[in-house]
Amino acid sequence: MRSLMKVLASVGVGLCLTSCAQVTKGLKAAKLGGAADDFVAASEKAQKCDKLGTPPAIAEEYALGSALAIRWVQQGGGLMLSGASEQQLNTYVNTVGRNLAMQSPRPTLRWTFGVLEDPRNFNAVSAPGGYVFVTRKLLQGVENEGQLAGVLAHEIAHIALKHALSQYATVKVSACKGAVVGDVVFGAIAERLLSASNSDGKLDLDADTGLMGKMADDTAEALSKGNSKDQELAADRLAVELMLSAGYDPDAYRQLIAKTAEGGGVFANHPKKEERVKQIADILNKLKDSGEAFVELSPGSLHNPALPASFSVVKATGVARDTK
Amino acid sequence: MTKRRMMGVLLLALGLPVTGAGAVQKDGKLYVKARNTRVLKSPLPTADVVAVLQPGQQVTWKGADPKNKQWHQVTEPGGKPGYVFQTNLSTKPPNMELVAKDGGTRAIDPAAFVSSGAAVKALSPGAEKYGNEKGGTSAQAVKQIKALEDLANKVTPEQIAEHVRQAGLFPVVAPNTTLGPQKVTTGKSSKSTKGTK
Repeated sequence: MRSLMKVLASVGVGLCLTSCAQVTKGLKAAKLGGAADDFVAASEKAQKCDKLGTPPAIAEEYALGSALAIRWVQQGGGLMLSGASEQQLNTYVNTVGRNLAMQSPRPTLRWTFGVLEDPRNFNAVSAPGGYVFVTRKLLQGVENEGQLAGVLAHEIAHIALKHALSQYATVKVSACKGAVVGDVVFGAIAERLLSASNSDGKLDLDADTGLMGKMADDTAEALSKGNSKDQELAADRLAVELMLSAGYDPDAYRQLIAKTAEGGGVFANHPKKEERVKQIADILNKLKDSGEAFVELSPGSLHNPALPASFSVVKATGVARDTK
Repeated sequence: MTKRRMMGVLLLALGLPVTGAGAVQKDGKLYVKARNTRVLKSPLPTADVVAVLQPGQQVTWKGADPKNKQWHQVTEPGGKPGYVFQTNLSTKPPNMELVAKDGGTRAIDPAAFVSSGAAVKALSPGAEKYGNEKGGTSAQAVKQIKALEDLANKVTPEQIAEHVRQAGLFPVVAPNTTLGPQKVTTGKSSKSTKGTK
């Protein structure tokens, strides 16, 4: 009977993981004993899991980002790194990417840019810690450096704005609560999650590859559902800001977006074009006159450089143009 | 509508910080946002270097140069006056991250941080182990990412600055932290697909 009550308490916690603080407080005050006490204990543990929702430290970010980068490289069919010409392409992409990243809100993060072999998907992905990957297929559709810069800047923005880390925080809290219930997450992983909930909420992923695998798998699954529209719009805004900061014409990025099929490839989770227009109009209405204040960005002297010769290596199917 | 005006509208429409969230007036403080930000003796990209600043350092803003508003007169933290390119500066501080030997993060001196090379970090050791143990093509992915990181680390600020010069982009990230007269680089600028606007 007692074990049945425990099960019921666990189920109760499972059903009431996020908003039971008041219920728990009431039950505790009532001192009902038995299953109610079990429920209170489990609920208090579950509430402690919220600590895992705080932004992770940089070491944890690098560890998660590294695990996700391995996954993205696998899914993308490996990196284009064979031979001098492919290495030269990656050097070029890193030159363009690092110039933008050094002007981003996270200039001291380690930034690595790579080209995935994937010849079928027009896509770009990023991982916390500063990993940005673009597919061969995407590069085949890029017509100038401005368009490449736009894509890289959009991914830099996701990292700078910590969008994947936000999903990771949700995954951590959920896994911890699963560990409280006991039949969703168990064993050494559950112990580490519960231990973190009793301290500062940080996880040492580097110390436990099992935990790292679980967190990377769950985060990748969450990311596969896409960022929110607000996050995509925010990434677009910062991307344009980065382009302007570096001296690129953001119109190049707009052209690339325009020629991409709506809802496909890298833009699968992006807002529809009409929504972008509405956002633009809304922001326009809120603008203020600069007056005598410092102006951070201006539209003057922008460029849209041609692609270098090293880019020709992506054109096995002859789509992208090469003018430099 | 002219191209330039169209760009202005685009800028405004996107809600970019044309004024900045916290507007800074003359004698107000601005943050350096880009690596190797040069303070120059005059508002020209080839002018003598007075100081090289790093992200997070603050300057006092004295106003835009009347002849070229992309250059801004500032006083650097040491008190020397000079000019900084517009997009090197921000009203908001950048995020600064450092992994200490104990795995934690701590507040840092921006200049000391960059010169220490502490920002350089390879694929995390746990992830490398995880990838090598996972099976399938993951060990190959680990190997490739490490090779890519080696390649990326060889892209120096000098290379970036040279690319920027040739492409006609803004001179935001300086090639080095050397003070005094700049080494003048000659060579053709790359051809732009659209030209300067």
